[in-house]
Amino acid sequence: MIADEIKLKIRDIVGSENVLDSNVDCFGYSYDSSFVPMSAENIPDLVVIPSTTKEVSAVMAIANQYGIPVTPRGTASGRTGGCIPIRGGISLALHRMTQIIELDERNMMITVEAGVRTIDVYNFCAEKGLFFPPDPASWKYSTIGGNVGENAGGMRAVKYGVTSNYVMGLEVVLADGSIINTGGKAIKNVTGYNLTQLFTGSEGTLGVITKAILRLIPMPKVRNTMQLMFPSLDNACNTIHKMLISGVVPAAAELMDKISLQAVAKHRKLDINPSIEACIVLEIDGETNEDLQEQAKKIQITANEFDVIEVRIAASQQEVDDIWAIRRGLSSAIGAMAPNRFGEDISVPRDAFPETVRLIRRIAEKNKLTIAVYGHAGDGNIHPSVLCDLSKPGEEQQVHDAIDEIFAAALSVGGTLSGEHGIGITKRPHIAKALGEAGVNTLKMVKQVFDPNGILNPGKIW
Amino acid sequence: MKNTDIQKYFKEVDDIVSQCDRCGTCLTVCPLFGVKDIESSSARGKNNIARGMIQGVVKPSAEVLDIVNFCLLCRTCVDNCPSKVKTDNAMIVIRQYFAEKNGSPGIKYKALGGLMKNRTLVKFSAGTLKILRKIGMNTLIPHGMAPSEFTRKQYLSSFAGPAALGSLAATSPIDLSNKSKVAYFKGCGMGMMFPDAVEGTLAILRTLTEPQIIDNMCCGLPHLAHGLRSDFLDMAKENISLFEKADVIVSDCASCSGTLKHIAAHFTDDPAWQERAAAFSRKIMGISEYLFQVGYKPQHRVDVKMTFHEPCHLGRGQGVRKQPRQLLTAAGKFIEMAGADNCCGGAGSFHIDYPAIAQSILDKKRINIENSGAHIVVSECPTCLVQLNKAAVQSGNKFKVMHISQVI
Repeated sequence: MIADEIKLKIRDIVGSENVLDSNVDCFGYSYDSSFVPMSAENIPDLVVIPSTTKEVSAVMAIANQYGIPVTPRGTASGRTGGCIPIRGGISLALHRMTQIIELDERNMMITVEAGVRTIDVYNFCAEKGLFFPPDPASWKYSTIGGNVGENAGGMRAVKYGVTSNYVMGLEVVLADGSIINTGGKAIKNVTGYNLTQLFTGSEGTLGVITKAILRLIPMPKVRNTMQLMFPSLDNACNTIHKMLISGVVPAAAELMDKISLQAVAKHRKLDINPSIEACIVLEIDGETNEDLQEQAKKIQITANEFDVIEVRIAASQQEVDDIWAIRRGLSSAIGAMAPNRFGEDISVPRDAFPETVRLIRRIAEKNKLTIAVYGHAGDGNIHPSVLCDLSKPGEEQQVHDAIDEIFAAALSVGGTLSGEHGIGITKRPHIAKALGEAGVNTLKMVKQVFDPNGILNPGKIW
Repeated sequence: MKNTDIQKYFKEVDDIVSQCDRCGTCLTVCPLFGVKDIESSSARGKNNIARGMIQGVVKPSAEVLDIVNFCLLCRTCVDNCPSKVKTDNAMIVIRQYFAEKNGSPGIKYKALGGLMKNRTLVKFSAGTLKILRKIGMNTLIPHGMAPSEFTRKQYLSSFAGPAALGSLAATSPIDLSNKSKVAYFKGCGMGMMFPDAVEGTLAILRTLTEPQIIDNMCCGLPHLAHGLRSDFLDMAKENISLFEKADVIVSDCASCSGTLKHIAAHFTDDPAWQERAAAFSRKIMGISEYLFQVGYKPQHRVDVKMTFHEPCHLGRGQGVRKQPRQLLTAAGKFIEMAGADNCCGGAGSFHIDYPAIAQSILDKKRINIENSGAHIVVSECPTCLVQLNKAAVQSGNKFKVMHISQVI
């Protein structure tokens, strides 16, 4: 509960039309895109929608003074419950901070407020021939603040890296309301600790990110898409490894297993050759069409070495869209296969991809569950989807066991719990296994320094 | 309400809303979220408050009903949703649940439903409006519900010169000798507010066939949308019976044609009506859909820039998109405006219930129309025409608003 006089102070700061406190309005801020069940306990006491850094700062000062939990939120497209206010308090919705402050073409950097949608950053830069590569699946609706807070990845990571590779500097409001600026436009910068990278991926637990300076690269002139079908997962993975080692780096290398393919086939009423065990969708880019043809040729030669069944090189934009529609429609297609679905986000060394998928197969058999596997094969980020029906007695336990085992499998091959979704609430129970007790304690010590009263997004990560 | 009824409604809703992955795609396209960006405005917000209610996390209160009523039923979210969650259907079922839980959908919707279920009253309203128009008092009716209709005659004299007025309707190349029996379905909104357009539709149909004029009931959309399902079903049965002899049923109102096409879905568990309803739904066509199919050639081509506002219930509701545009391309200088398929904010009685929000949505539409440079904005739905007429006045009459049957 937040006392009325505190609410009044907050209303004075942001304007009363930008504060919601009815139960049904606040309910809308109690969930995200994860599978965390709905609960009355997750409903914030107050939703505050600031428009400026100054407002964020003043709200934080009050929250800190009265010890009110504050959970920052972009558009709640996160997959691990990161923006769910599990201790109540304030849901700080930043989606109205949508100013693009500056596009510095000579330095190839853009400065934006936290609430700008990722696709808007991309489009704004693209108009000037500049490229902001990170493209998490949610990029059409996620905010850049959320992407930085979670250090989101995406399909282009294999060639271009993840969000953190593009964050040059941040404006952050600390727990007590003070405003700091980290990093900047200087490419070489060793003045003090690298706080920019510390805040990136901190899941709203260390400060509220209000602005970001992002690095850009020149936009590739041409792009094309390829689809390759293989008789085994190993052959598909081996093709990717050999390609990368030989210097052919695709802009995206997405892999789907047979179950995923069957889901898409069913959803889109397609016929797929039953001998196909794995499918790779590649995006290639470059300077000229000859450049693309050269890459496609090299890829085809490599794929042939690994008994590729089918190679499709898109000949038109329509074909490009058709191929990507299969990959983009995957999540919904898999979701439609069962009443409940638990999507995970483990990340392993690239070479361990096939081994990890084999381990996941065994886990599925052991727990009598269907687990569809797809992911970013180029960077070792795997999305196993456990399909289930929680209304069946005993199934919930099997699912939990399977997920525990999937995490153990990832760690056993030298991988980790999350590649791009963050830890949030859903992976919290597993973090000690990944980082060790001393590792978790180190995180806690960092948190203590930035947020001594523990008001920023409490109850997350560990 | 019996517990089993609650279970039935909740199951129907849950089957829809549990498909929502909560990703947030709808936030970027929902016209309401576009003007009031809080979660409960969006389809995700609505689907999840429904889920919360079913799971007992939020109580079924008047506030929840307000959120459920605050929906245009425009299906923009459905079209863009990766899982194609039918938010509009879920909202209709919850409204029905609340109407039965509270014993009534509320005085306002009950009165509206009562009026539109009564053929005499509908005709009476149309007559009253005619008189008001004659004496110039129609502008005093609030919410633009008594628009000044720009007639085909006025259109031709303004844009084509007087010579065009005398020209006869061109004969359609369609062979009329062994034609199927075509009936006209007269929507309440068309009859009450746009009599010149109704005349236009009938005149066009008469160039092709001898349309049956049937004294039909309301299509029932206002009832269905606001928790008066049994009225909807009663009228649907009456309409099914009235039109049994027709082979094709043409409506010049997108909301009517859209609703009637979907009537079959409401009788799937009623063996007595199931087949008759399905047969009825199969016969329904929107006016531009029908005219396009029979190869109708517009009666005149006028050198005027025109654009098309695509009603939600025509494009997303029925997949009829190219037909009106092709007809307009033949009738004038057709220009596609930006966001032609964005909802205009009319949405049945939404613009009366939420005037400020509807106005903000309409402002975006008006700007798109103005930017297109069109002199005429054409549509195929009376509620859209009401909204667009307001926009025309607000733009200082930079453009005129017409039904498609008045320009082709």
